[in-house]
Amino acid sequence: MNEQHPIRPSLLTTVAVCAALTLVATGCARGEDDAAAPASDGGGEGQAQVLDEAASGDETCSAADHGIEGFDLTDKKVGFSQSEAESNPFRITETQSIKDEAEERGVDLITSNAQSDFAQQISDVQDLMSQGAEVLIIAPLNSDGWKPVLDAAEADSVPIITVDRPINGTACADFVTFIGSDFVEQGRRAADQMIDTLGGEGEIAILLGAPGNNVTTDRTDGFVERIEAEAPDVEIVFEQSGDFTREGGQSVTEQLIQSEPDIDGIYAQNDEMGIGAVTALNGAGKEPGDVAIVTVDGTEAAVEHIVDGWISAVVESNPRFGPLAFEAAEAFGAGEEVGTNLIITDREYDAANAEEELSNAY
Amino acid sequence: MRLDTLPRVDGERALHLLRDYGVYVGVTLIVLFNIAFTPHFLSLENFRTQAVQVAPVLIVALGMALVIATGGIDLSVGSVMALSAAVISLYLGYGPIVAVLIAIVVGALAGTINGVLVAFFGIQAIIATLAMMIGGRGLALVLLPQLDGIRSPGLRALGSGSFLGVPYLVWIAALLVVLVAFLVRRTVFGRRLVAVGGNRRAAELSGLPVRRVLLGVYALCGALAAVAGVLVTARLQAADPNSVGVLIELSAITAVVVGGTPLTGGRVRIAGTVAGAVLMQLLVATLIKHDLPPSWTQMAQTAVIIAAVYLARDRGRT
Repeated sequence: MNEQHPIRPSLLTTVAVCAALTLVATGCARGEDDAAAPASDGGGEGQAQVLDEAASGDETCSAADHGIEGFDLTDKKVGFSQSEAESNPFRITETQSIKDEAEERGVDLITSNAQSDFAQQISDVQDLMSQGAEVLIIAPLNSDGWKPVLDAAEADSVPIITVDRPINGTACADFVTFIGSDFVEQGRRAADQMIDTLGGEGEIAILLGAPGNNVTTDRTDGFVERIEAEAPDVEIVFEQSGDFTREGGQSVTEQLIQSEPDIDGIYAQNDEMGIGAVTALNGAGKEPGDVAIVTVDGTEAAVEHIVDGWISAVVESNPRFGPLAFEAAEAFGAGEEVGTNLIITDREYDAANAEEELSNAY
Repeated sequence: MRLDTLPRVDGERALHLLRDYGVYVGVTLIVLFNIAFTPHFLSLENFRTQAVQVAPVLIVALGMALVIATGGIDLSVGSVMALSAAVISLYLGYGPIVAVLIAIVVGALAGTINGVLVAFFGIQAIIATLAMMIGGRGLALVLLPQLDGIRSPGLRALGSGSFLGVPYLVWIAALLVVLVAFLVRRTVFGRRLVAVGGNRRAAELSGLPVRRVLLGVYALCGALAAVAGVLVTARLQAADPNSVGVLIELSAITAVVVGGTPLTGGRVRIAGTVAGAVLMQLLVATLIKHDLPPSWTQMAQTAVIIAAVYLARDRGRT
């Protein structure tokens, strides 16, 4: 275009409208009730992660095995790389737990968040190292693709601890240890709860997580394996992805109750999809308990739905990695042997314990 | 000679017919398929479910159709929905009506920024709205960092209630379809926006207020996206700025294009857009009801889009 634009006035307009947008959006906001703010007190006794010695394996790693000099954790700068935006309870609690533990121990912590972008996470970790991180705690978005980071960390003798998802590589060479839940086991336990609730027979649906994600695959494999082995009369008639979101769970469940009106149970691979399923069933005029719902995560909102009868059971996936991760780093630095595969025990919530355990949900 | 030309002419005519009415053929075919092969398809409840699920996409697609008719595009609609969801949650303390109005104003403001960038700065629509897509979602997450449950009975009723057996969501979508169709066919603004899309230079030379028209169209698209954000939030009974409206711009653009509105602008088909949205909804519903893997859904959508664009490809020449 070669005509003259009145640039200055329109520049002013844009600035004014942008300002108006921000102002209107925040100006004199008043939420529904401010008392409902999450009262996270950093976690009591019942919330802490506990190691499952039997599942964790015997392999260990020490600083000497790894070829790194011993160190005192309190002198070190620790870098934490979070994979997904802190917009769901799991990620919020995970990051908070790491921060709280660093503060408690007086360790210098720098953090980054890759917002679900894997390339971003790789450069995040490289940035953390260039900012002087000497110990890395990584919550990886993917298990594969870490070669450049692992090489750089090895060259600088930076020990890596991965939490919640593993990194594919050699323990004690590429990384020190993995701390996390056994997702396959979570699937199996969800299946046990489903079989119990249904009395061993019925038609059920699975709300899958995001496709191509190892959490989805593991939680499906464990569930299907246990159902096939233990309850031949429970039939899985429907498996669709709700993308780990509440809206996805709701939409898919709405379609499900149209095409399979007699469905007996729904296994949601995370709490958000399970809550979406509750909204859909409620909207279709079902009563609590008409359809057995079993979910995985252990968020407060889901455990509350056990109390009001909509959800039958929730298998926990505990995100409070701070204490165990720093404990492992400290022991490693002190030259002690640290297990290379630290599997935590997850709680279970059901009608029997939901009310008293509600305070342990996140 | 006759043998050479006759089939070709017929073929072209058929192509034109298919281009203009193919989407209705598609909807008819998929409905017939479902009646024959999908259990419980012919029930009132099922039609309610499909209508409720398509309503937000349809409303976004209406705004998108207007923007596309001017030769532009709006990638920011999903983020505007997220902004609207965040604002509702923040302002619900004043009651649902105030919160909904402010959400719509915020949507219109975001659209206005798009419009200013496109109309006055001459920035390409795809870039201007891409910026709003990223910035809008960011702002929404700053305002409301995580999902927030909605307890307001008024807003919950909007999401799940109905009048004369038809859900409020569907009434609102239908009303907006009628309003936008009226705007396009019967108002000066409607004629102007199509004229701007047909030939912007000619529209400028003939004295049309091109910039004002563009500004209005983008603001309207933003406001419609905000309405969709309100409805999704009401239906979900939670404001979820992280995932509300993610990738909806693609569904909306697909509905518009499949409905026969050319991406080059200068023409708009509202009824076609409605049918396009319904077609994509039924496609997804069919695959879910038959429990086919989600990857199939994506491939089926791709096939429909390619077919629609193929049929539309000769529009430049005619």
